[in-house]
Amino acid sequence: MSSRGSLMFLLHAHLPYVNHPQDSSFLEENWFFEAVVETYVPLISALERLSAEGIRPGVTISISPTLGAMLENEALENKLQLYVESRLELIEKELTRAQGDPALLRTVRFYQKLYEDAAVLMHRYSGDLITPLKALQHAGQIEIITTAATHAVLPLLSRPEAVRAQLAVAADDYMDRFNRKPAGFWLPECAYEPRLNSYLKLSGFNYIFTESHSVDLSASSAPSGVYSPYLTPNGVGVFARDAASSREVWSSKFGYPGDPAYREFYRDLGYDGDYEYIRPYLGSDGVRRPLGLKYHRITGAGTDLAAKQYYDPEAAMARVEAHASDFLARRMKQTEDFYAARGTGPLIVSCYDAELFGHWWFEGPAFLEKVIRKIRQERLPLQFVMPSEYLNSCQEPPELMPGVSSWGENGYFDPWVNETNDFIYPAVYSATDKMIETANRFRNQDVPSLSARALNQAARETLLAQSSDWAFLLYIGSHAEYAKSRLEDHASNAVRLLAEVIEKKIDEPALAELEQKNSVFPRLDFRVFASVSKF
Amino acid sequence: MPGLSRPLPAEDRLVLLPKNPGSFFVFWQLSAGRSEAFRSSVFQPEIELKLLFSDDNSPASSMKFPWQAGRGYLPVPAPGRTCQAALYAFRNGAWEKLLDSNQAAPPCAAGMAEDRAYASLEFHKKVLQ
Repeated sequence: MSSRGSLMFLLHAHLPYVNHPQDSSFLEENWFFEAVVETYVPLISALERLSAEGIRPGVTISISPTLGAMLENEALENKLQLYVESRLELIEKELTRAQGDPALLRTVRFYQKLYEDAAVLMHRYSGDLITPLKALQHAGQIEIITTAATHAVLPLLSRPEAVRAQLAVAADDYMDRFNRKPAGFWLPECAYEPRLNSYLKLSGFNYIFTESHSVDLSASSAPSGVYSPYLTPNGVGVFARDAASSREVWSSKFGYPGDPAYREFYRDLGYDGDYEYIRPYLGSDGVRRPLGLKYHRITGAGTDLAAKQYYDPEAAMARVEAHASDFLARRMKQTEDFYAARGTGPLIVSCYDAELFGHWWFEGPAFLEKVIRKIRQERLPLQFVMPSEYLNSCQEPPELMPGVSSWGENGYFDPWVNETNDFIYPAVYSATDKMIETANRFRNQDVPSLSARALNQAARETLLAQSSDWAFLLYIGSHAEYAKSRLEDHASNAVRLLAEVIEKKIDEPALAELEQKNSVFPRLDFRVFASVSKF
Repeated sequence: MPGLSRPLPAEDRLVLLPKNPGSFFVFWQLSAGRSEAFRSSVFQPEIELKLLFSDDNSPASSMKFPWQAGRGYLPVPAPGRTCQAALYAFRNGAWEKLLDSNQAAPPCAAGMAEDRAYASLEFHKKVLQ
């Protein structure tokens, strides 16, 4: 059956850069390990399975440069391997403990397979999970795009040099990682303002994604609403997010992830287990923390954690089947309604944080795989499309200047600018302004090697200070002290290094330590921050 | 109120950022000399932040803050219209301009759907429960 409508699925994969090589066990590095095991490995496995069966997944994945750097960091890969091995060791003990409890045993075996699959995939690619993604893109199965260098909320960077640096560094980073120019750009937090258009164009990006009300807020006429791509006045393609398909997946209240059969995120062996039994698997501080072994299901809205029932993988997969059918039925309805009204098929753009799939919503990767399979198996008049091919094949999109917007709470910049986190901006701007000023001062000079190293590291620290993650963590009150200290460390590192260069008093051992720890963007040239950039 | 643990370089800076259709965020820093002028009462302890419309430089609104506050929120005077801020201090019976900010464009208000689901916030918030 020919296609009546197109679906564009974008998964935005991002983690803040967390690398503490001096610590054998660092709590916040677990974000990365958990995301690899629960999200990235299952997603890559699903994409590879589909591809091997001749079903093109056709999804778009945005990989942030900081996540890309962590996926290629050998020290983190080694720690990840130890993490997986320690979980498998614990699972072996759990298999013994669960003898006589068939419901628990079934779930423990399920986890054993999850961690074994992760170990096998990582072994196959020697720990580098960029390799399979690159291969999938090379084979035309998926499209990979990038985002700002350290995921800065770009409308909150008032200096043009800072915005340009975030974009230029991201484009270079992508080129180094994927051996081609990036076509698309994921605006961190979907945060858009018209000022960005010229920088996007200058950095060579062909298209972006915006929140749905960016179209509603446009002064231009948008008769197709979010169901069509647009071009900004300077020719950057715009795909607007469809709120309906997002809600079904995102919302913990109304969305699929809240189903009683799905895995409960908050009940974890790390809190339930006998302390002495689980102590070897906790961090060096011995504080209870999630171990990733979550044996219970949501059970019911408002059910007390202690009253949760055991997770049943088969029952959960039955709900995945039902939810995939429901999701597609709703897309079909959207498509039919649009087609009946306009005589043409809509483009439905669904954007999600990748980590929702697997980490938060454990069954998410299975849901995505099921949706893709069902379109093929049930010969639905829908097709998965990727942005570059869609822009190349569709008629010239109409011109539109999107309105200022984000996908954050309330639709603008409130989560990143409020009374819980606004105190960080003087530090961010202090580092940024000093970086620009110093880059301008030295941009045409033949800088000695040690000074160049210090300037380049200052540029890395400045970029890391600009990350959206610190403001967001402060806002939600999760790992707030860590976020604050990271922000302050990066800003003060940048200011100190720049002062050392000017005073010609560079502390080489301290610089070397920073280069090892905050080792993103190895090819970075500080001149990217200059007002008239050579880039 | 949360704050930074470490001192920042004493330098002049006034930055205006968009927050939402109803408010701007503004913060300011002062050089050591200017801070000393406030401390020694050369300047009165209140500063005035004036918003100007960037297209014609006409005055839009103003608000007063204690000079040490360092940051605050200003109502957006006209939806979607680009503004610029200026920081004034009072001395010898007159207001004296110390700093100009960047220009900032506030978002226009959208008819927001109540059931719109935003990003991962709902999941992250749940962590706190």
